[in-house]
Amino acid sequence: MRARIQIIGSQLLTLAALGLFGGLLSASLVRFAPGYGVDERELDPRLSQASVEAIRNSHRLTGGLLSYYRHFLASALQGDFGRSEWLERPVSSLIKERFPVTARSVVLGVTLAWATALGISLSGLFFRGFFLDISGTLASSVLIALPTAVIAVFSVYLRAPVFLAIAVVMFPKLFRYLRNLLAEAYAQPYILAARSRGIGRARILFQHVLPLASPALFALFGVSLSMAFGAAIPIEALCDSPGVGQLAWQAALNRDLPLIMNLTLLITLLTVAANLLANAAHERAL
Amino acid sequence: MRSRLPRNLALLILLARALPVGAQTGGELHFCLHGEPKTFNPILVDDEPSENIRYLTGGVLIRLNRQSQALEPALATSWTISRDRRTITFHLRKEIHFSDGTPFSSEDVGYTMRMLMDPETHSSTGDAFRSGEGSVAVESPAPDLAVITFPAPIAGLERLFDQVAILSAHSPKKEMAVLGPFYVADYKAGSYILLQKNPNYWKHDAQGHALPYIDSVRLDIQRNRDIELLRFRRGELQLINRLDAEQFDRLQHENPAATRNAGTGLDAEELWFNQSPAAPLPEYKKAWFGAKEFRKAISMAINRGDLCRIVYAGYAKPAYGPVSPSNHFWFNSSLEEPKYDAQAALRLLTQAGFRLENDTLKDRAGNRVEFTLVTNSGNAAREKMATMVQQDLSQVGVKVNVVTLDFPSLIERMTRTFDYEACILGLVNTDLDPNGQMTVWLSSGENHQWNPSQKAPATPWEAEVDKLMREQAAAPTDKGRKAKFDRVQQIVAEQQPFIYLINKDVLVAVSSNVVGAAPVVLNPPGFWNVETLRLGPAPDLGAQR
Amino acid sequence: MLRGISAVILCVIFTAGLFAGAVAPYPYTKQFRERVNAAPSASHWLGTDSLGRDLFARLVYGTRVSLLLSPAAAFLSTLIAGVLGGFAGLVGGWCERLILAAADLSMALPLLFVLLALRALLPLNVSPLVSVIATFALLGLLGWPSSLRVVWATTKNLRNSDFLLLARATGCGRSRMIARHVLPNLRPVMFAQFWISIPLFVLTEATLSMLGLGVMEPLPSWGNLLRGLEDVSAVSTNPWRLAPLIVLMVVVVCFQLILPTPEETA
Repeated sequence: MRARIQIIGSQLLTLAALGLFGGLLSASLVRFAPGYGVDERELDPRLSQASVEAIRNSHRLTGGLLSYYRHFLASALQGDFGRSEWLERPVSSLIKERFPVTARSVVLGVTLAWATALGISLSGLFFRGFFLDISGTLASSVLIALPTAVIAVFSVYLRAPVFLAIAVVMFPKLFRYLRNLLAEAYAQPYILAARSRGIGRARILFQHVLPLASPALFALFGVSLSMAFGAAIPIEALCDSPGVGQLAWQAALNRDLPLIMNLTLLITLLTVAANLLANAAHERAL
Repeated sequence: MRSRLPRNLALLILLARALPVGAQTGGELHFCLHGEPKTFNPILVDDEPSENIRYLTGGVLIRLNRQSQALEPALATSWTISRDRRTITFHLRKEIHFSDGTPFSSEDVGYTMRMLMDPETHSSTGDAFRSGEGSVAVESPAPDLAVITFPAPIAGLERLFDQVAILSAHSPKKEMAVLGPFYVADYKAGSYILLQKNPNYWKHDAQGHALPYIDSVRLDIQRNRDIELLRFRRGELQLINRLDAEQFDRLQHENPAATRNAGTGLDAEELWFNQSPAAPLPEYKKAWFGAKEFRKAISMAINRGDLCRIVYAGYAKPAYGPVSPSNHFWFNSSLEEPKYDAQAALRLLTQAGFRLENDTLKDRAGNRVEFTLVTNSGNAAREKMATMVQQDLSQVGVKVNVVTLDFPSLIERMTRTFDYEACILGLVNTDLDPNGQMTVWLSSGENHQWNPSQKAPATPWEAEVDKLMREQAAAPTDKGRKAKFDRVQQIVAEQQPFIYLINKDVLVAVSSNVVGAAPVVLNPPGFWNVETLRLGPAPDLGAQR
Repeated sequence: MLRGISAVILCVIFTAGLFAGAVAPYPYTKQFRERVNAAPSASHWLGTDSLGRDLFARLVYGTRVSLLLSPAAAFLSTLIAGVLGGFAGLVGGWCERLILAAADLSMALPLLFVLLALRALLPLNVSPLVSVIATFALLGLLGWPSSLRVVWATTKNLRNSDFLLLARATGCGRSRMIARHVLPNLRPVMFAQFWISIPLFVLTEATLSMLGLGVMEPLPSWGNLLRGLEDVSAVSTNPWRLAPLIVLMVVVVCFQLILPTPEETA
C-alpha cells in the first residue's frame, strides 16, 4: 500500500516538474525568439510617438524571464493566470471558454476512432471475414497517407464537424495497432485451447482476448489522447474552430507570452499525465 | 352573448402590428468580422473589427458621408470653427437619448473628449487631435451647446469627429450605452456578436419612419476567408465586406449580381529599400539603396500591369504615388505616370555606374547586385507580387531572394534591428486627408519606414518634405494645403523612397436580398449605409442562423 | 508481389526527383504570364498555377525536395533516438528517467511553436535551398521522441537477455559489448524506425507547409503545392491541382506496403 502511494506520489511529482519545466521552456522560446515585444499597432501612422513608446513599454519584461515566471507561478497558485496581451482579456476566462470546445472535439474524435477501429478489428476476428479485414486495412492505408492539414481542409468543405476530422486522423494509426494486437492475443495458446473446446467466439473475444490485451489498450489510449491534442492544433487553426488549439496557434503567431505559458502548461500537463497513465498500465502488464 | 367584435378587433390590431411595415423592414443582417474585436470602448479602438463595431453602434457629432465624401450633421445640427482654428462650437440635437434611455447632452460630449484626450489613453482616435502640448478644454454652456478648445490649430478638424463616438457620462452601462443605430446585445467571444436595433436612435427617414430598417445584425468572427465565401454561397451570410480579388473573380463567374466593385481603393502596396544608417548591411549595398537612380530604375523595371492582371485578376490599378487617384481632391494629377520599361531601367542603371555582364548586373566595384526581399507570410497576394518582382528584376540582371516572415519578426526587423534589405508591405489608408500620415513623411517619424526616427533629416529632399508637411498642417485654406502636398507627391515621385506598386479595388459581395446596398471606396465599404439597408422579399426575412 | 510493385513505383518517383533537371521541361520559377491557371495541354502537362508556372515542373522539383530531404531528416531523428534510447536502455537509473522525461516533454511541446520560433531565427540572406535544408534538419532534430521509446524498449530487453548476461559473465568489456553485441541487434529496429519515419516526415512537412511554416516560396515542395487545395471549391474546376496530393499518397502507401507489419508506432 505504502509502496503504491510512494509510486503515485513520485509520478505526480514528475508530472508537476515536467509541466513547470515545459512552461519555462516555452516561455523562453517565446521571449527570445525574434519578434517578441513588438506590436502591429506600432505601424499605425495615426498613433503619436508617445503612444508608440507606451505600447512598446507595455510589452517589455521588467526584470528577467525567471522572475517573471516566478511571479506568474505565484499568482497562478492564487488563481490569477495573467492577462493575454494580444486579446487583452484574462487568460482564465479565455481558456474556460475555449477548452470545452477542444475537449468535446478531442473526446468525441478519439471515441469515434476507437469505436470504429475496435469495431472493425473485433468484427474481423468474429466473422473471420477476409473482406472486412482488407477493407479496414485499405481504408487505414489511404487515410494515413493524407496529411492532417488536407483532412482539415476537406472537412471544412464538407461542413464536417471538427471531431470527425480528428477521428479520421486517429483512425488509421489506431486500427493498424489494434488489429495486430488483437490478432496476436487471439492466437495465444490458451485462447486456441478455448476455441477448440467450443467456447463461443463472442465469449472468447470479450472475456478472454480483450482482458488479455487491456494493458496495452490502456497504454494506447493514453498515447492516442496526446496524439489527438497534438492534431487538434492544426485542425482547429485551419477549420477556424474557436478552441484551445486555434488559440495556441494565434498566440504563437502574435508572441503572446502569458497565453503561451498557460497553454503550454495545460497541454504539457495533459499530455504527460496521459503518458504516465499509459506507462503505468504498461508496467502493470509486464 | 358577448360580442366577438372586441376580440376580433384586438386580433386584427395585433396582426396589423405584426405585419412588417412596407413589407420590407425587419430581419437580421448576417456577415463576418475577420478577427476578434479587442474592445467595445470607442475611445480605445485601434483594430478593424472594433472599428466596424464602433461604426455600427456609435453616434458621432459629424458624419462623413462615405458616398459623397462630404460632411453631414449627425448628433450636431451645426458647428462653427473659430478663426484661429483652435475652437469648435457644436449645436447639438435636442431630445436625444442613449440606447438605455439616459438623456444626451453636451456633458456627454465633454466627458467623451476628456476621456479621449487623457494622457494615459493611447489610441489612434485621440492621437489625431494631439496637435500640440497642452490639454483640451471643453465647455458646456448649455445642454445643447458644446465648445471644445484645442491647444494648437488642427488641420481638417471637422473630419476627425467622424471617429469620435460619444460616450455617456452618467449611464450605469458605461460604454455599452450608445447613440448609434445598433447596440451590442450579445457577445460570445470567439464566435459572434449580436447587435440589436437601437429603439432610441435619433435618425428618421424622409417619411418619418425610424431608422434602422433592419432589426438586428449578427457578426460572426471568421478569420478564414475561404470559409466565409463558402458560407456566403450557401446563403448563410448576406454580405462580405472585403473580398479577395481571386474570390471575387470566381464569384463573378457564378453569380455576377452578388459582386460589386466599388472602384479603386485608397490602400496601396509598396516596396522600399532599407536606407537606415544603423542597418547591418555591407556598405556597397547601402550605397545602392541610397542612390535615387537605383530606386527609380527598379521602379521602372517592375511590370505593374502584370501585377494587377495576374495577382489581382485585373481588380487593381498600378500605383505610382502615395495618393490613390480615387482620392479626387488630394491626388496630384499633374504628375506623369511612368511606363514599364526594362530597357530604360537598364540605361538608368548604366548611367549610375552599374554594368550588365552575362545577364548579371554588377556595380562599379564588381559586386553582384543581389538583395533579399522580405514580406509577411500569410498574405498570398504579397507573396505572389514578391515572386513576380523577382522575375521582373531578373530581366535587368538583378538577383532577388524572396523571404516570407511572420509579422512580429518582420516588424522587429523593420523597427528595431533594421536587419533587412528590401520589403514589400501594404499601407492601409483609412483617411482621405494626408495629415493623418505625418509620422510617415516627417523624417523624425516612426513610420518613415526607409529610415525612421531621424535626429535630423538625412537628405536635402527629406528636409524639404519635412518643411512642406509642417506648412500644410498650418496652412489656412484647403487649396493652400493641397499645393504643399502636391509638391510632396512630386518629390516622392522623383526620389522613390517608396516604390508604389498597386492600388487595390474595393470588392464587396452583397446578396441579392439586401436592398439599398451601394458599396463605396471608403471604410466600411459594404455597410456604410447600414441604417437604410433593407432585407428584401426573399424567404429569409427573419433571424438567420 | 505488392511489395515489388511498390518498390518499383518508389524507385521511379525517386529517380524522377533526383534527375528533376532532366525530367522537368521548364525551370520551376519560370512564369508564363500569358498562360495563367491554364488547363493541362501538350506544352504544360499539368497546366499552370496562378502565376503561370508549369505545375508538372514544380511537382517534379517538389518531389526532389520532399523525397530527398525526408530520408535525411528521418536519418537524423533515428540516429538521435538510437543514441539516446540506447543509452537510456543500457545505463538505466536516473539517466533513463531523465531521457524519457525529456522525450515526453518534447512530445508535449507543440512542434508548431518551436518551428515558428526557430524559423524566424534564420538569417535572411541564406539561399532558399539552405533554408529548406534547415527546416528539415529542425524536423529531424525534433522528431526523435516517437522513435525513442521503441529503441529504449528494445535495448532494455536486450540488456536483460541471456546472451548479454553470458557476455558479462565471461568478462566482456563494456565498449566491446556495446559494439559487438548491442549495436548489431539494434540495427533492425533502427532500420524499421527509419523506414517508418520517412513517410511521417513527408506528411509533417506537408501539414507545416500548408500552415505556412514549411518550405518557403518559390522553392516547391509537396506541402507547398498542396496550399493550392486550400480553396477546395476551386479544385472542382481545376481537378489537376490534386496531382501533388495523389503523388504524396501513392508514395506514402508504397512505403507502408514495403514495410513488414509495423512495430509499435507510437
